[in-house]
Amino acid sequence: MSVGLLLLTHEGAAQPFVPLVQRLLGRLPLRIESFELRFDTDLDATLPQASAALRRADSGDGVLILTDLYGASPSNLAARLTQLGTPARRVAGLNLPMLLRACNYPDQTLDELALTAAHGGKTGVVLDHA
Amino acid sequence: MLEQEIAVVNKLGLHARAAAKLVQLLAGFQSNAVMRCRGREVNAKSIMGVMLLAAAQGSTVLMRLDGPDEAEAMQAAVALFARCFDEGS
Repeated sequence: MSVGLLLLTHEGAAQPFVPLVQRLLGRLPLRIESFELRFDTDLDATLPQASAALRRADSGDGVLILTDLYGASPSNLAARLTQLGTPARRVAGLNLPMLLRACNYPDQTLDELALTAAHGGKTGVVLDHA
Repeated sequence: MLEQEIAVVNKLGLHARAAAKLVQLLAGFQSNAVMRCRGREVNAKSIMGVMLLAAAQGSTVLMRLDGPDEAEAMQAAVALFARCFDEGS
C-alpha cells in the first residue's frame, strides 16, 4: 500500500497532470486523483464531491493533497478535507517536478512524502541554466 | 566502485521520459548511482537529479556506480543509453 495523491486546484490546472505523469513514467506508481474547483462555486456545496475524491485517492495510508496556490480556494478546501478523518497533509505550489518527485518515492509515509514533494517542487524551479 | 563515460546518442538527450527510464532501471539495482556532466554531479536514481544535468544529444556523462551489483547495473545503463532509451532515435 502507499499514500495516494489528490491534485486539488483551480479549474483546468489538475487533470492534465495525470495523463502527463503516466506518459512520462510509463505508469502511475501511486494512486492519483484530481479535483478541480470551478470558479463561482460554493465551497460548502463542493465539499461532498471533494471528499469523495479524497476517499478515492486513499488506499489506507492517507492522502497527500497537492494544491496549486496557497491561500486560494482550492487550498482552503484542502484544509477542510484534512479535518474529515482520512489522514491527509497538504503541499501548495503544485508543479511537475513536485509531482514526479512524489511519484519517485511511493514507499514513503504520508509525512515523509509531504516533505519530499515540497522539496521537489522547490528544487525544480531553475533560473536560466542549472 | 565502477566509473564509465557514456555518450548521450539519442536525439532528445536526457529528457523527461528518458530520465524516468534510466531512474527506473537503476532503481532495480542496489548500487548507489551518481552521474556527472559538465561539472555537475547528481543522484542518478532521482528523476529531478537527472533532469538537472540537461544533457543533450552529443554530450557525455560520467556514470559512477558503487555496490554489490555495480557491474550488472553499469551494463544495463550503458545498454539503455546505446539503444536510445527505446525511443527509436
